[in-house]
Amino acid sequence: MARLSELEKLRNVIYTCTHCGNCKYFYNWGEKENLFGRNCPSGNYFYFDSYYGSRARSAAAKGLLEGKLEWSEPLVQALFACTTCAACAQQCEVDFKDWIIRTMETLRREAVKAGVGPIARQKAFGEWTLKEHNPYMEKHVDRLAWLPKDIRQKLPETAEYLYFVGCTSSYRQKNIALATTKLLLKLGVDFTISDDEWCCGSPHLRTGQWDIAQEVARHNAELVDRVGAKKVITTCAGCYRTLLADYQQEPPHGYSDILNVGFNKPVIHTIQLIEELIRKGKIELGEYPKKVTYHDPCHLGRHMAPIQGREACYEAPRNVLKSIPKIEFVEMERSREWAWCCGSGGGVKSGFPEMAIQTAVERIKEAESIGAEVLTSVCPFCWRNLDDAIKMTGSNMKMLDITEILLEIVK
Amino acid sequence: MGDKILRILKEIVGDEYASADEAVLYPYSFDLTWAKPRMPDYVVLPNTVEDIQRILRLANRERIPVVPYVSGTNIGGLCIPENGGIIMDLKRMNKIIEINTETGYVVVEPGVTHAQLSAALKKEGFTFSWPVGPPAASVLACAINCGIGHLASKFGINAENISSMEVVLPTGEVAKIGSCAFSDSWHSLWPLPQLAGLFIGWLGTTGIVTKLGVWIYDIPPFIKVETVATDNVEDMARWQRAIRRTYVPLDVTAVSWWLAQVPIPHPYVEKPKDAPEWYCFNVLTAWTEKQMDAYVDLFNKIVKEEQQRGSSVRPYPYPEEALKGRTQLPSRIVGTTKNYCGSGVAGLSWPGTFTPASNWPPLYHEWKTILIKHHFSPAVRLTNFQGAHYGMMRAFVPFDKRKVGDPNLRIKGIDNQENARQALLECVEAGVKYGMIPYKPPVDFWSILNRKADPGFISLLTKVKDMLDPNGIMNPGKLGVR
Ligand SMILES: Cc1cc2nc3c(=O)[nH]c(=O)nc-3n(C[C@H](O)[C@H](O)[C@H](O)COP(=O)(O)OP(=O)(O)OC[C@H]3O[C@@H](n4cnc5c(N)ncnc54)[C@H](O)[C@@H]3O)c2cc1C
Repeated sequence: MARLSELEKLRNVIYTCTHCGNCKYFYNWGEKENLFGRNCPSGNYFYFDSYYGSRARSAAAKGLLEGKLEWSEPLVQALFACTTCAACAQQCEVDFKDWIIRTMETLRREAVKAGVGPIARQKAFGEWTLKEHNPYMEKHVDRLAWLPKDIRQKLPETAEYLYFVGCTSSYRQKNIALATTKLLLKLGVDFTISDDEWCCGSPHLRTGQWDIAQEVARHNAELVDRVGAKKVITTCAGCYRTLLADYQQEPPHGYSDILNVGFNKPVIHTIQLIEELIRKGKIELGEYPKKVTYHDPCHLGRHMAPIQGREACYEAPRNVLKSIPKIEFVEMERSREWAWCCGSGGGVKSGFPEMAIQTAVERIKEAESIGAEVLTSVCPFCWRNLDDAIKMTGSNMKMLDITEILLEIVK
Repeated sequence: MGDKILRILKEIVGDEYASADEAVLYPYSFDLTWAKPRMPDYVVLPNTVEDIQRILRLANRERIPVVPYVSGTNIGGLCIPENGGIIMDLKRMNKIIEINTETGYVVVEPGVTHAQLSAALKKEGFTFSWPVGPPAASVLACAINCGIGHLASKFGINAENISSMEVVLPTGEVAKIGSCAFSDSWHSLWPLPQLAGLFIGWLGTTGIVTKLGVWIYDIPPFIKVETVATDNVEDMARWQRAIRRTYVPLDVTAVSWWLAQVPIPHPYVEKPKDAPEWYCFNVLTAWTEKQMDAYVDLFNKIVKEEQQRGSSVRPYPYPEEALKGRTQLPSRIVGTTKNYCGSGVAGLSWPGTFTPASNWPPLYHEWKTILIKHHFSPAVRLTNFQGAHYGMMRAFVPFDKRKVGDPNLRIKGIDNQENARQALLECVEAGVKYGMIPYKPPVDFWSILNRKADPGFISLLTKVKDMLDPNGIMNPGKLGVR
């Protein structure tokens, strides 16, 4: 493999970054109020400019392309300590904007090719995925251990939807897998679940381990055909992005150029289906008299809104929450495209656990500051990290996926 | 040696806030401009005034250059270390210490950004003079280097709005300057000896300003942007002088057709024949509708009077996105360089800016010839300062930073960066004839300026610099003489 061959392909977009530094903070002008806030988890944690926003990574890219920077441990650290949350891309106004995430992940790809990346724990989950098809060091045969036998028996062989559970819900946030399954059953959705689902490949794409992503993507694309499902539904923002954008779209938003799996099935997030059913009056909801706020997962929000639209990616979860009787829905200052990342994406939870948790602590404090009793989201990976931070800080707030709330109150 | 310095820096600020790693230093080695990239030896992130004192004492002892830094967006290569040394990145010191709406000032640390301050002030119904620059840049670094904002036409440049300061001298002592030296109030530099002048316009070569008081202004409820156009620069300069007499608009800024485009066309394209060459926005503000109506009447009256004198000035719509970028400040559109660099590919520089209003037209013609010769658009801005006793004249030059031979270069077959440098040096040569003084000047500009300078000025400048900074550690080289 030629040195920096992937990065070379992006040279022209990388050079549209002017190093102006506006990617380092959230800012937006408003008629009545201007928005300002921290936006970059790695910059906020490490402070040096080499960790701040897309400007840091475009600088590294230029340095490598111009032969002024050599691979080194600190360079690898700076490149991998990014949650790829796209908050910097949100701020950017030049042509680099849409290419920022791809550039960051390409830099990581180059580090992997050069044998200096990824971070040891990321490498370990990559190797494990090749054996057991998940990055959690769990056995593939245990993938559906969360699914009670009686429910499993009820599920059809083939159905309109394949519920793509994802590794985090399968092995860690089983509460979300179960809530989703029970909810879909309650709502009469025609769906099934496969015990042969593999990791979607998101952690591998984000950490430069693209060959592993290729392998799992090929398998999953075939799986959907094998199951005979027309569509895929998932409650995981990471899987949603990967199956819909990475498997199916050209760069800059997707990886169809690398994965090349010819997958073109509709993929929806569970919350989008539920919103539609509520809109059509097909769901009756009981009361939920609590003060609730919502955390936008980066993979549903900033990553997907440019392709799928604001309604589907920012408003759907809010519309669902707001339609619940007696709920008091409150918004954090940094929300929608300005949301502060939970801190776990981009391989950071495994590669930089301390930074991940501190980032989540900041989000917990933000939610607490508006008096929220319940923090919701629609991503098991955000759930995990935010809940870890709740426990660490001794917060009284409760972390719940929206499906968990709905399961409690759907009539 | 390297390890010893790093060890002490880490002792001062904590292990995680000092580094000598190449990968950490690299982003500090270049900026938007053509300035030759140069690596620092260390970067350090102090959190307190005491940290800064200790770092400066160390630097003095060891004769190591220190470059103050917040965002590095000065468009002058001013934070690129000429001789290595320590980048003192001040972004951790980002507290808004006081917002005093009664007297009308704020006190900020160096790391406070325009975005941050604007959000805090707007909540209180106040504003400051926001540059048409990156929202993520430092309020303090801008003001002490004679930066300019959207209130400059009425209230002068940001340096003129400084009301007090605290500095750490290169030798490590701390001094308060202005009213804050005598009480907790940061309201005024006057009527004291103007010691603040030892740190304003010095480009970080005389000490570290650790706190700055600046005046703030109430946001009036009625704002109207009246826009006019002219066919030539003579009529536009005359318009700007005519409107200045009223002392009404907060901002009177004119831009050439090329600067009104988002992005600036690069390489140069001809202006459509039927488009006016100059546009001007005049920001009117008022406290009552009646007052606004009177201002609009006044504005229309001046337009008529100018027309009667044969001027081509006429009310004219300003391109919408460009207008937003210049009135909704701080602005992400201009701040993230969309308007300047969308077409430029990574490079941006400018010559300018403080020029007597009477000389704007002849200098514009000279600049136009120079810029077009070098394939650049004459994207020129004229802004009244304090009425228009003096004003800004600057040309925005986006350029391609890719290497010679890159098949995608905007201007094929030549070194685009060197071409930009040459064009700007020619513009400065032309400008000094007309009394232009570049602000935040790159080192290259000083060689032209200092040739013209009064020897007495240079001698005094060097004496003051040597007195404050006996070992020459503060941002060496950036004044052209030291
Ligand atoms: C697209 C664009 C448009 C711009 N438009 C404008 C404009 O309209 N008006 C304007 O004024 N500027 C403008 N600028 C320039 C720039 O954004 C401002 O000057 C900015 O406020 C500088 O802040 P910074 O944080 O980037 O400072 P830096 O570049 O980090 O520092 C600037 C200088 O101050 C020194 N310095 C920094 N901190 C201290 C300190 N605490 N004590 C002593 N010295 C210090 C540095 O050594 C350096 O010499 C523009 C820039 C861009 C990229």
